[in-house]
Order: sequence, then C-alpha cells, then structure tokens
Amino acid sequence: MGHEARKGALRDFYTPLVTAMGYKFTPDDELADFLLEQEAVLEETKGAPYCPCQVRTRERDHDMTIVCPCIPFHRAHFDAMRRCWCGLFVHQDVTDPDSLPQIAASELGIEE
Amino acid sequence: MSDPIFVYALSTCPWCRKAKKYFEDKGVVFEAVDVDLLPDDESDRLAAEAFELSGSRAYPVVKIGGEVVVGFLPERFDQLLEAGA
Repeated sequence: MGHEARKGALRDFYTPLVTAMGYKFTPDDELADFLLEQEAVLEETKGAPYCPCQVRTRERDHDMTIVCPCIPFHRAHFDAMRRCWCGLFVHQDVTDPDSLPQIAASELGIEE
Repeated sequence: MSDPIFVYALSTCPWCRKAKKYFEDKGVVFEAVDVDLLPDDESDRLAAEAFELSGSRAYPVVKIGGEVVVGFLPERFDQLLEAGA
C-alpha cells in the first residue's frame, strides 16, 4: 500500500474516533496532508503512526501515549488549546486553526 | 545574546520546520538538530537534554539565551530576540 492509500486509510480510521471526542481534522488541508504523510512514514519505519511532533523514547508506556490520535492521553492539555499538539485535529467549532497557538502544558498548569 | 539559539527539532514536525525557517528569515545565528535523525544513543542524549530543559516531550524546543520555549511561537521568539535574551 502506498502512502496515499495509507493516508486515506488513516483518515478513515481516525474520523469516527476524533468525532466522538469532539474533534475534527484541521481545515488546513495542506497541514493535514503533510502530517498524515509523516504518520504513514512513521508507521512504516517505526511501527506505529506516532505523533510527528512528539519525541519517542522507545519506552512502551510513553510511546503508546503519542500514537495518533493521542487526544485521550493529553485531554486536558489539548482541550485547553482546542487543538492537538501537532494540529492534525482541532475542536469541532474551530474554523481558523491559525488562531490556535501551541501552548506548553506547563504554561497551562497541566501536568503531562 | 549570551548563548547561541538552539532548536531541538523532529524531522517529521512541521512546526519545527517553521521554527527553523523563522530564525533563518530573521538572519540570526542558530543551531538546530533533528533529534529523530540521530543514532539512537545521540538521539536519546539530545531528547533527554531537551526534556531536562522543557519538561516536555513535545517539539520544537527552542533555547534562546536563558529562556526555553516549547512550540512554534513567533511572537514569543520576537520578544526574546528583542530583549537580547
């Protein structure tokens, strides 16, 4: 399966999961396509579609918390930002993802 | 500026790319490393260093002088550059 097909499969897999959590794909199609491409490559090379913007430690307990969609493991942080860290997903009412900066969990008083 | 600007980045992270491009466009001297492209031992060392600085596994981690910024935050970068952090 090439990356285009895998990206489509990941999108189809993620959509009902994130919808149930109150999120949706970012309306920034270029960003979504880039991030899905990175996840397809990470899945192919590292074994799972890890978040492209969080570092793996190769310790299972940690690395499982950054497999996309990782929203349940970072719920308070992402809900406060109204986006996930990499920006693939945003809250369902978001129309302008560029207005949502990354904010470190520590700055929000949230323990990671 | 006391210490060089250092960007801990991941090759897969668009915000890390934006952070590097921000400093390139500003014409300031900075160093950057894609932690995920290093051999495991070196990658672990740099990732631990970034975590020690930031308390976070999220990238980019940007060290500007004595300050550490987690994320692509150009307005914060501007402030720190102007302050000569």
